[in-house]
Amino acid sequence: MPYVLDSKEESVNGALLALQQVSLGYEGRSVLERISFTVERGEFLALLGPNGAGKTTLLRGMLGLIPVQAGQIEYGFDRLASPPGYVPQRDTLDPIFPLSVLEVVLMGTYARLAPLRRVGRRQHQIAATCLEQVGLAHVAEQPFWTLSGGQKQRVLIARALAVEPEVLLLDEPTAGIDPGAAATIIDLIARLNHDQGLTVVLVSHHLRLVRSLVRSVIWIEERRVVKGLTETMLSPERVADVFGMLTGTE
Amino acid sequence: MNTLIIILSPDFLLRDALIGSMLVGLICPLVGVYFVLRRMIFLGVALPQLSAAGIAFSFLVYRVLVGQHQHFEMSERVLALLGSFCFTLLGLLVLAAFARHRETVEARIGITYAVAAAATILFVALDPYGEAHMIDLLKGDILTATGGNLTLLTVVFGGVALGLFGFRKELLLVSFDRDLAVVFGMRAGLWDTLLYFLIGVTISLGVMTAGPIVTFGFLVVPPLTARLITRHMLTFSLVAAGLGAAAAFAGFYCAYRFDLPLGPAQVAVASVVLMAIASAQGLSRGIGNVHAT
Repeated sequence: MPYVLDSKEESVNGALLALQQVSLGYEGRSVLERISFTVERGEFLALLGPNGAGKTTLLRGMLGLIPVQAGQIEYGFDRLASPPGYVPQRDTLDPIFPLSVLEVVLMGTYARLAPLRRVGRRQHQIAATCLEQVGLAHVAEQPFWTLSGGQKQRVLIARALAVEPEVLLLDEPTAGIDPGAAATIIDLIARLNHDQGLTVVLVSHHLRLVRSLVRSVIWIEERRVVKGLTETMLSPERVADVFGMLTGTE
Repeated sequence: MNTLIIILSPDFLLRDALIGSMLVGLICPLVGVYFVLRRMIFLGVALPQLSAAGIAFSFLVYRVLVGQHQHFEMSERVLALLGSFCFTLLGLLVLAAFARHRETVEARIGITYAVAAAATILFVALDPYGEAHMIDLLKGDILTATGGNLTLLTVVFGGVALGLFGFRKELLLVSFDRDLAVVFGMRAGLWDTLLYFLIGVTISLGVMTAGPIVTFGFLVVPPLTARLITRHMLTFSLVAAGLGAAAAFAGFYCAYRFDLPLGPAQVAVASVVLMAIASAQGLSRGIGNVHAT
């Protein structure tokens, strides 16, 4: 059975991230109300729900990009010393910037560089390693905007890895990408979680893609969240029964 | 060739004007890079005009409160710089505060330009003692540049260049991916303010030195040209600055050789380079497409 986590007693001990009675929204309007759940270390978690339910709002709240209207978010890591790795939707970035792939990945290393400190050899090594991890070391000097959608997304994942984060948060990493490239990206994220023990939280519309990989699911609907294990939350019967509305988006 | 030798000789009469205009050509594009990248190009029209209004306003207020100021003295330049900087920075902050309402951005910038242009003329008209001289100052009378002006220009523009390069990674991240900057714990508003401050200083001094038209021209044209031929951020900035300085020198040469007004000649040269590069790229793309088919 899936379980609703909205009690104040929700344990935060050992959790990487704990939301307690949190309300999130914009300009006084709540999109999510009094939600509580935890993200454990090494967890692979998908945020699912209908369009407009508040998946991106929740992710932005967890990243500290929008203020919490009520409740609190506790982090089991030092957010300033080791910020989370964030992969935004790639179409939020403006192609007017003349940036090479390497320059984009190097931005991830800025997190640990004080003002006036220059990007040095160590930062270049980190960026090169991260590009290798996503299989794009050979395009390091190419202009970022000449890459395919799937490649751009992998570069943004490499940039998030360059932060050397404890948790990776991804906003619709497979949106607008052909199925082959989307599968490559999901496989890459799964490998990072499995091989490196990196905690992953991703927003996705692709139930079929994430179903076989994520360990747990948060279902967001009508300002509430329901968290459960993937096999329970996304069993074929349950998908057909409760989430039937999503079959068109798979 | 003869003209070039005269211009480059150490005792050239207009040497300070040449160096001053090249400094404007060098530094305005460094700031202009952010105008282009943040898609704020139209601000480049409105802000120099606002700066001119600030100069006219400061002289008018001084005359009303203190009395007639002395022309061609350092105090006059300080007064003008103060008015110019205050108006530019204020305008920039107000326009930036409303930047999120993108649907009315052109209207706001257009209104700012119209109001600033009208205010400049009205302020000058209300100050009959200084009208003729004021108009020269508002046009940016770089030919009258002196050693003192040049020192001020060098020191301030040097500081702007240091600020832009020293905080390059922070200004780039806040401009390119503001959300990531916030996730990294950076105070994006503070970095924006620093950038606006550097923009304000550059425009104020640029307008006082070379006038609003030249300042706008150098803010926008060299970065747009550099954007066509560069693939990296650092080379983008450096090429834009280099093109600006080269266009300032070539424009100075043309103005001296053919007895043309200096500022428009410099902007014309920069624009010709932009058109030449854009045309060459278009042509090369067209030929590439023909070969591909």
